[in-house]
Amino acid sequence: MSDTLLEIDRLSVDYETARGDLKALRDISFDVRKGEIVGIVGESGCGKSTLISSILRLTAPNTRFRQGEVRFKGEDLLQLPERKMRNLRGADISIVFQDPMQTHNPVLSIGQQMLDIQHRSKTSKPEKRTRAAKMLGAVGIPDPEARLDQFPHEFSGGMRQRIAIAMALMSEPDLLIADEPTTALDATLEVQIIERLQELQQEFDCAILFISHHLGVIAELCDRVVVMYAGAVVESGEVREIFHDPKHPYTRRLIDCDPGHIKERARVLPTIPGEVPDLANLPGGCIFRDRCDQAMARCASEVPPLAQLKEGHHAACWLNHKEAAE
Amino acid sequence: MSLLNVKDLKTSYGPVNVLAGVSFTVEPGETYALVGESGSGKTTVIRAIAGLAPAQEGSVKFDGQEIRGASERTLRPLRKDIAMMFQDPVGSLSPRLTIGSLITEPYRIQGMKDRDLDAEAKRLLEMVNLPAHFASRYPYQLSGGQARRVGVARALALEPKLILADEPTAGLDVSVQGELLNLLNDLRERLGLAMVIITHNLNVVRHVADRMGIMYLGRLVEEGTTEAVFHDPRHPYTRCLLSANPEPDPDARLERIALKGEPPSLLKRPSGCEFRERCPFAQEICTRTPQWEVDNGHGLRCLAPLHEGRAA
Amino acid sequence: MAKSRSELGQIIHGVARDPLGLMGLIIVGTIVFCAVFAIWIVPYDPVAMNIKDRLQGPSAAHFLGTDQLGRDTFSRVVMGGQVALKVALPAVFGAMAIGLTLGMIAGYGPKWLDNLLMLFFDTIRSFPTVMFALAVVALVGPSLQTVVLVVMATSIPTYGRVARTQTLTLRNSEFILAERSMGASMKRILGVHMLPNIVGVLAVLAAMDIPTVIALEAGLSFLGLGVKPPTPSWGALLKDGYSLIRQTPWLVVGGGLPIILATLGFTFLGESLRDVVDPKLRKQR
Repeated sequence: MSDTLLEIDRLSVDYETARGDLKALRDISFDVRKGEIVGIVGESGCGKSTLISSILRLTAPNTRFRQGEVRFKGEDLLQLPERKMRNLRGADISIVFQDPMQTHNPVLSIGQQMLDIQHRSKTSKPEKRTRAAKMLGAVGIPDPEARLDQFPHEFSGGMRQRIAIAMALMSEPDLLIADEPTTALDATLEVQIIERLQELQQEFDCAILFISHHLGVIAELCDRVVVMYAGAVVESGEVREIFHDPKHPYTRRLIDCDPGHIKERARVLPTIPGEVPDLANLPGGCIFRDRCDQAMARCASEVPPLAQLKEGHHAACWLNHKEAAE
Repeated sequence: MSLLNVKDLKTSYGPVNVLAGVSFTVEPGETYALVGESGSGKTTVIRAIAGLAPAQEGSVKFDGQEIRGASERTLRPLRKDIAMMFQDPVGSLSPRLTIGSLITEPYRIQGMKDRDLDAEAKRLLEMVNLPAHFASRYPYQLSGGQARRVGVARALALEPKLILADEPTAGLDVSVQGELLNLLNDLRERLGLAMVIITHNLNVVRHVADRMGIMYLGRLVEEGTTEAVFHDPRHPYTRCLLSANPEPDPDARLERIALKGEPPSLLKRPSGCEFRERCPFAQEICTRTPQWEVDNGHGLRCLAPLHEGRAA
Repeated sequence: MAKSRSELGQIIHGVARDPLGLMGLIIVGTIVFCAVFAIWIVPYDPVAMNIKDRLQGPSAAHFLGTDQLGRDTFSRVVMGGQVALKVALPAVFGAMAIGLTLGMIAGYGPKWLDNLLMLFFDTIRSFPTVMFALAVVALVGPSLQTVVLVVMATSIPTYGRVARTQTLTLRNSEFILAERSMGASMKRILGVHMLPNIVGVLAVLAAMDIPTVIALEAGLSFLGLGVKPPTPSWGALLKDGYSLIRQTPWLVVGGGLPIILATLGFTFLGESLRDVVDPKLRKQR
């Protein structure tokens, strides 16, 4: 238990809107251990943005925390005063965002920005510069000393993303949150970034919370996986378990739909018909019921709990309880 | 006669040669995929065909008629036969018009006011599996997948012979990507459409394209049937692209072939083979300039091609 | 989901929710109402002279007293409102319409046309308005129409520039590209696709411009370059009141107060309008 770094415990978050409460996160629970890479798989509307902003406490004014805790090293972040939260951000918890073109301040040089980040450090300016150059080298930027004085627009998208990773890792955080860091990049760049992340993770021994809807990247990079759908965790477990023995229909269908594993030309590709439900008007029972081809009567009336099926593998589906019922 | 015949197309913006001579053909009813990464020039090719980007040299013949550099007057009747789908599904829809107006826009532009536009709108929505009441909605009310289908509906309005699709699955969730591709396949079969699809997503190409061309720095480096290219890629760049797709299987051991560095700037094109500096299989001979050679329908621009994945 | 309110209704609702916007709405509403129904509101004929009763202070009979020719000040103030709007509305909306058209053409058409139009705009803007008015009046003689034309001409460049910038921005957007790929003519692109997206911004500018124009008309009338007497104008009232201020301060009040109120009212309204319209435009993109 003591090597649990981040613990999301039954977190429920709503957005208050004119149309009613949008139930963005419902009873979310999972944890991240020290030095491990946890992947969050989810498509549009699954709640991953809300999850990230809740962990970092950078939420919109109409956000309401209805229940639950976000424990980082044992402390509930939701109860922390803003001052302490600020100390955590960028130091113990860092983040890399999706769009490398918008991540950096366009009017400051990369060096200035990397020096800024080290504002908590007591070292001298030349020392900070050396450290910044070292980090740039670690992420594979050639000629780092010279490039410190260049501006973001002088770098390509792939390089900017690597710089963002360097900046996030400079403080040697305990937890790095990566929000779809490769979605905006071409496949060959994506692969470079993933490999770089793997190396750096080993070197700095930080935990990574990696959010993506790209199943292939998740399979390659992560130790454990959490599958989210429309604001709920539907399955979580070790990466091998999730991909080889998925216990939730959504996970199964999602893996089926990924064209990466369909080797021969398919005239008709698998899809999941239907749309994500309206979070302000939730259907009763299981959230995936309307799009599930194995739905039973029970699914319409009761919300399945996230039950532990075997050590470390949880799923929220009544199909797994059929044997117990019979 | 090919439906579309692109020959030696060249485009420069000042000193930057975005397209350095691109040639390919598309037959009626065929789907051709143009694959490449950012900066390869694939978007420029498509826009040049649609008359939206300039092309200083080369030829683009549609149904035998030259359209490169043609005047708007010459192009106008051809707009019925060539339709384009754009990458940003919501952004390519005029924000203040209803969906119904948007998909019947082609009729209005071509002056076909005698048609019953409401009926046409309904017919088109049905073709793309969208409910009829969507006609009164606005673009900002649509999801990405729905907006894409509206884009397809609009492209089909005048029964074109050729559709140009710019990254048709970009930004779509995996679970709905299949819907769009199935729809395109369906329509292709029913209407006998030809398509040129540009994408950097090789997984998509495999399921929709008959033939494909790989672009690098404004040139085609390999071309062939989708089967052939996937099973036996000859150009090292193609091999790198194919191996860069992580599989959704944690136990998969892909023989990943890593590309070195970043694509060079278009202002400083390398001498000899332009891929040489990043090529993991580069050899002495690659300092010379490779020519485009076609062997049994398979085109290649490489002096040290691979056979069965290994260097020759 | 059907729209529960029309777009205009939504805008008005949004403005009314903001306290300053609501105030602006009330003030402007009152001024417009008085201007439209002036003929029925005024207790006396604004140009009727009655030397016997000249220079009286406020009374039950004359709310703001009378001026040096015995005319009822209150009636002149109310009618002055009609005159102010008769100048401001055509001038502003005329300038908006012309500026919009020229701006869109400058932004979308060929570069040489853009340069020509910008040169035209800059030339007009380099003329100080008052000197321009003097010149025109010297040529044509003072009148309401002259004022409208002068004001309209000097306002066109402002709207033109904004319309041009918006057009330049929208020109490269994906939906315009899509229209071009379908063969839409320049007329169609500008009229059907660009215009509705640009008009909102210009309308807000226009709302904020009206008080400026009202003040401009008042200023010109004050100098004797505006509407011909005996037509009442707030500026004319100020002019008379200025020289008669020792005998009666009420002319200055009658001329100055409405200008202040109109400026405040339209400014509040315009700013509130901008806040309501802007995020909506962004959301709909």
